[in-house]
Amino acid sequence: MSLSRKGHASHSRRCLIGLPFSQVDIDSSRIALAFYCLGTLDILNSIEDQSSELDRETWREWLWEQHISGVYGTGFRPSPYVTPEDYKGEPSEYDLPHLVMTYTALLCLAILRDDFSQLDRPGILRFLGACQREDGSFSALPNGGESDLRMLYCAFAISDFLDDWSGIDVDAAIAYIQRCYSYEGGYGQTPSGEALGGTSYCAIASLQLAPDTPSSPRAGRLSGAQRLRTIRWLVQNQTAEGGFCGRTCKLADACYCFWCGAALSILGAGDLVDKRALADFLEKCQFKYGGLSKAPGERPDPYHTYLSLAILAILPSDHGDDESWKLPRLNALWNATEETAAWAREHIPAKARAS
Amino acid sequence: MSELLADDPEWADVVPIRQYENVNPIAPIFYSEEYKDATDYFRGVLKTGEMSPRVLQLTERIIRMNPAHYTAWQHRYKTVISLKIPLEEELELMNEIATTFLKTYQVWHHRRLLLTALTSIDAAARELEFLKTVLRADAKNYHTWSFRQWILAHFNDEERLWAGERAYIEDLLEQDVRNNSAWHHRFFVVFSSGIRLGDEDRDQMLRRELSFVKEKIALAPNNPSAWNYLRGALEHTNTPFSTLTTFVELYTTSQPPSRGRDEDVVDLDNPPPSAGAQLPAVAALEFLADIYEKEGGDASAKAVEIWKSLANEKDVIRKKYWEYRIRDALSKA
Repeated sequence: MSLSRKGHASHSRRCLIGLPFSQVDIDSSRIALAFYCLGTLDILNSIEDQSSELDRETWREWLWEQHISGVYGTGFRPSPYVTPEDYKGEPSEYDLPHLVMTYTALLCLAILRDDFSQLDRPGILRFLGACQREDGSFSALPNGGESDLRMLYCAFAISDFLDDWSGIDVDAAIAYIQRCYSYEGGYGQTPSGEALGGTSYCAIASLQLAPDTPSSPRAGRLSGAQRLRTIRWLVQNQTAEGGFCGRTCKLADACYCFWCGAALSILGAGDLVDKRALADFLEKCQFKYGGLSKAPGERPDPYHTYLSLAILAILPSDHGDDESWKLPRLNALWNATEETAAWAREHIPAKARAS
Repeated sequence: MSELLADDPEWADVVPIRQYENVNPIAPIFYSEEYKDATDYFRGVLKTGEMSPRVLQLTERIIRMNPAHYTAWQHRYKTVISLKIPLEEELELMNEIATTFLKTYQVWHHRRLLLTALTSIDAAARELEFLKTVLRADAKNYHTWSFRQWILAHFNDEERLWAGERAYIEDLLEQDVRNNSAWHHRFFVVFSSGIRLGDEDRDQMLRRELSFVKEKIALAPNNPSAWNYLRGALEHTNTPFSTLTTFVELYTTSQPPSRGRDEDVVDLDNPPPSAGAQLPAVAALEFLADIYEKEGGDASAKAVEIWKSLANEKDVIRKKYWEYRIRDALSKA
């Protein structure tokens, strides 16, 4: 069977146009959803055939409207879902930027080849600092919210996009990551939490992203035994069905194919995955009208669609002459195609603008 | 509360404010009339900063339609505090919402704020009981388990809180021996959160844990959760894997050990696999290979033999991994 590229692209396109009320809980994380849709189109090389120049221009404009500033600095809010109609560019104390939205907004804008001339770089660095807690972790919002490894990863990725780590305390954050390490070899969402695929990716990617610091050289962040235990646990999560589960003894789920597979790839152990079995599992997750679901027979959504395609791009398997499976190379640390990552590297950092 | 606030005289004094939409949005949500109405009034309330009983009703109405609406949660909490609503009452009221929306983070965050403000061990103990009912509906819910661990560590009361945890975990493992959240919780309680009352003798504690996990392995030899717990317990206490060779070898042969004449003499340290267990167990072979690898010398060849059989026959989905273990061991030899 083939990868239904057209179906997946049009599924993403449909979601970008609008969502039914049953998905209203997406409102407080809408930019993340936009990223899964645009990311899917980017991997499928379909941005241009699924959108017009005008679409892309309005999308960029809408994203920049979510770029807001306050005493905490500057970041992107999820959507204007609490913004009053008479808004004049001065957000209220309830209308706040969010770390995950800021990370995904920057990726969306890079996919849409924005020139980032509107980006308030010093403001973003202040925002990252405002989100960092005393224990080294990061919260979603400058005044609180979820504080865990996912937010920490976003702060690290944003610092890396900007090529400027001066907004955050890297050593304190790394100490926090270490406290999330579990006896199983994976990382929990917070210290002492159960080992979980998604947050293990966040931990491993973050340890790799952060530059050397005097007290934490990159090479010394994972002991040999720690790394081997992590690889063992990640590999153990590939189930007989070919997909990965996110926790020991749970069922395979398409999103964990990405989180565990990409984590292995960052650790230089991507080749330990049975890639053909993985592709066979994801093939069965394809929905007949487009999109991929978490498991065969379930409903598709942009999150599982994007992450499935992303891992197929990172860990391709041999499908002979079937061109449908050929995907561009993906940067596993940033979660972007190499072309988009190159665009981001060229346009996001302040240094790039100065030169 | 099914009719619109716009038609309700009680809300006539509030000016509803529509949502800002300037340019064409990405992935707009097609709101229902009821949701639009409620959030329009909510924006009106945010503008005036109103904190009143009707605001509690309004935020609840929004949360029931969209439990991820974190601004509604934030404003609700502020209102509860400002009106000096008894916090136990609010917790109680939120029980049903928590059970309905247990996968939503905000639900748990709200309870955490309430409990933090309550500073009461009684409330914390009641909360642990409430969480048991939630976990009955979803025994592996990640938020619920994190929250339970937070309560234990935050209120940190041996007799009222920690003391009941092991028995509770044992109940859960009785129902599902593959519940990894329960295994993880046991590791948290026993090893990684400090020393429990009665566990001061660490050798005795370790003996108890090893005997517990061995019994569970005997019951279901192909249960990675139990093997991971066993490995974790040994590594945490710097106990060599080789101290368990006799036990593990009962699980590495394809024939269950013959019980013979000394059937009554049960070796409590080395419980045999239950009848009908599928043997050899992959996890036991892996464990034995780890023992051989550590031993080194002639034993290394035995480790390689085991890895080969795992790669080619017994655990082929991880073929590449077992081959990597062979390469890695040979490169060190």
